[in-house]
Amino acid sequence: MPEALSLAANNLLTPAVLFFALGLFAGLLRSDLAVPDAAAKTLALYLMLAIGFKGGVEASRAGLTADFFNAGATGVILSFIIPVVAFYALRSVARLDRTTAAATAAHYGSVSVVTFAAGTEYLRALGVPFGGYMVAVVALMETPAILTALLLAGGDAAGKQGLRGNLLREVLLNGSVVLLVGSFVIGAVTGERGMAKLDLFVNPLFQGVLALFLLDMGLVAARRLREAKTMTVPLVLFALSMPLVSCAMSIALSALLGVKPADAAVLAILAASASYIAVPAAMRIALPKADPGVYLTLSLGITFPFNLLIGIPLYQAVVATVLG
Amino acid sequence: MQTVRRRKLEIIVEAPVLSRVEAILKSEGVRGWSVFAGVEGHGATGDWHSEGLSGAEEKRLIFALTSNDAADRVLEKLVAFFEDYPGVVCVSDVDVMRPDRF
Repeated sequence: MPEALSLAANNLLTPAVLFFALGLFAGLLRSDLAVPDAAAKTLALYLMLAIGFKGGVEASRAGLTADFFNAGATGVILSFIIPVVAFYALRSVARLDRTTAAATAAHYGSVSVVTFAAGTEYLRALGVPFGGYMVAVVALMETPAILTALLLAGGDAAGKQGLRGNLLREVLLNGSVVLLVGSFVIGAVTGERGMAKLDLFVNPLFQGVLALFLLDMGLVAARRLREAKTMTVPLVLFALSMPLVSCAMSIALSALLGVKPADAAVLAILAASASYIAVPAAMRIALPKADPGVYLTLSLGITFPFNLLIGIPLYQAVVATVLG
Repeated sequence: MQTVRRRKLEIIVEAPVLSRVEAILKSEGVRGWSVFAGVEGHGATGDWHSEGLSGAEEKRLIFALTSNDAADRVLEKLVAFFEDYPGVVCVSDVDVMRPDRF
């Protein structure tokens, strides 16, 4: 246990996490510190490209093994079922309306690429040998939760005038998903030769860009918290406890389906994360009556900081204890 | 200088559903419009800001000039659209040069 605490403390003292804390702190104190919109979008594009490409190159080294299919299947199943648990918790404990509960559940079933980036950096520092193909698992886990949420919302989904026609295409072709998957494929196809050309761009710069991106995330999270009008104690408790429930579900399913422990650690981090890039836009299209003040504040303002500061080392420690 | 009366539509919608409104404009015969990005504002649900992450709550302002008939047809369809989605629309009479363009 002292070792786990020491690892958790080390995680808190990495530049990326401290820049997130700086953004959060500056935002809560209403500093005029800001990352321009276009810059934030560019940083997000860079992260998707670098994460996808590096994962593709690593996958090309190891090849697509049975481990990938185990992890992928586990991830997809989790993304389908986590929203069901989240939905009923939000309906019964937090007394949320059906539409907002379904939209929020979609966020918790889908995944956060930035939490994945921070989590895998942490696991790399510990020498946990997870597969490069886990990037592909991230992409697989982006959308099933949206489909579950639409089923849970039932007749509340938009579309009375046939406006929902292209929703599935828009969700599957969401820019961040396309760039992540596309970069993974490019990395897998070009392998070591491609890495030799992009190494300087995707490796030494990565931590700096992640730090700047997390600074912006901190500022955005602070603004969400400051302007949260519909927060209740049950909702805050949900945002803090749902990641733990998802992590437990992930570990149980990983054990059942034979996911190797290093990949199970990444899956636990992914399962505990909540989306705030791909899913919010999809929910504005599919469930416009749902309150974004609830789902964005919970996923971005509470769950993301919790995972970044406490969750990632905690999930890794639990996976290491349970699965070895 | 010769000017002719036309109607101006100013429509504010969330970025994720912009293409749906543009499809309405196109289907009802509006021949041209411009789209501008919103920065921040305040409305029925409180403050909103343009955020680089998801773009889910980003706003777009559509500026369109068109004929009376086309404007009426667009407004009719927007009534149904706003049953599902948030947004603002305002219409005004304007005098334009080169009316054949609108």
